[in-house]
Amino acid sequence: MNDFEKQIRDALARKEPSPGFEARVLAATRRVEARSSWWNGLFSGRARWASAVVAAVVVIAAVGWRHERDVEERAAGEAAKARLEQALKITSVKLAKIQEKVEAHESN
Amino acid sequence: MTEAKGCVVEAGRRSTFAEALRANQAMVFSIAYHFLRDRPAAEELAQDVFLQLYRSFEDLDSDSHITFWLRRAASNRAIDYLRRRKFRAAIALEQAPEPSTAAVEDDPLLNRRLRALIASLPEKQRIAMVLRFQEDLMPEEISKILDMPVRTVKSHLQRALALLREKIGRSMGEIR
Repeated sequence: MNDFEKQIRDALARKEPSPGFEARVLAATRRVEARSSWWNGLFSGRARWASAVVAAVVVIAAVGWRHERDVEERAAGEAAKARLEQALKITSVKLAKIQEKVEAHESN
Repeated sequence: MTEAKGCVVEAGRRSTFAEALRANQAMVFSIAYHFLRDRPAAEELAQDVFLQLYRSFEDLDSDSHITFWLRRAASNRAIDYLRRRKFRAAIALEQAPEPSTAAVEDDPLLNRRLRALIASLPEKQRIAMVLRFQEDLMPEEISKILDMPVRTVKSHLQRALALLREKIGRSMGEIR
């Protein structure tokens, strides 16, 4: 290693972080631990069964709600289709009458 | 009973982690600091690295494994940090102003100047320089940490040294 490289090594010597750094990191790990133990507690022992029941109820409710929505949407679609068919029938009848009148007029 | 045993294991884990933190905090902080040249950002990054270590602590089986893991995590996070925030702490090397006073060996001004120039190198060259001269690692070790071929590491180091030498040489010449 030449003088220039030694100078670079001096310039890049390790530095200490601020004095409270270690305590801050340890406090952050405690927060992580508390969060994870809360989360783990949710899925352990008796709470595990309660969580499973709650999850099952939520899933069933979501599936039921979705099914309800599907039925409603299908019914609304059917009604719209029927209205459209009715409108087309009326239009067709009116057009036929108009055509009859035009033909009668032309034959006179 | 199981809960009590869990607490003992947890306490043991915490105390081993605290030792690892104490032993490596200067190393992790310095990699981040020399790379970013921003103390608050470097501390934030170092804290994130140690939190990540805490989560993976059980997978690491020796001090050397922890050191390797920390160097790799700090290097990768420093590069990501720079890319994400488009953080430009230092001005581009070619536009960096020349020092206004004479630079001599062991001069803190020269050290400061060198740090500024290193912090303005392209990111791969910069992290290779930090690992080579701060951590005193050989190109083979750096290549494992940065996941790049040894040839590429050597080339980054050579280019960085040439750039620094040229820039410092130019400023010394102007002073003389």
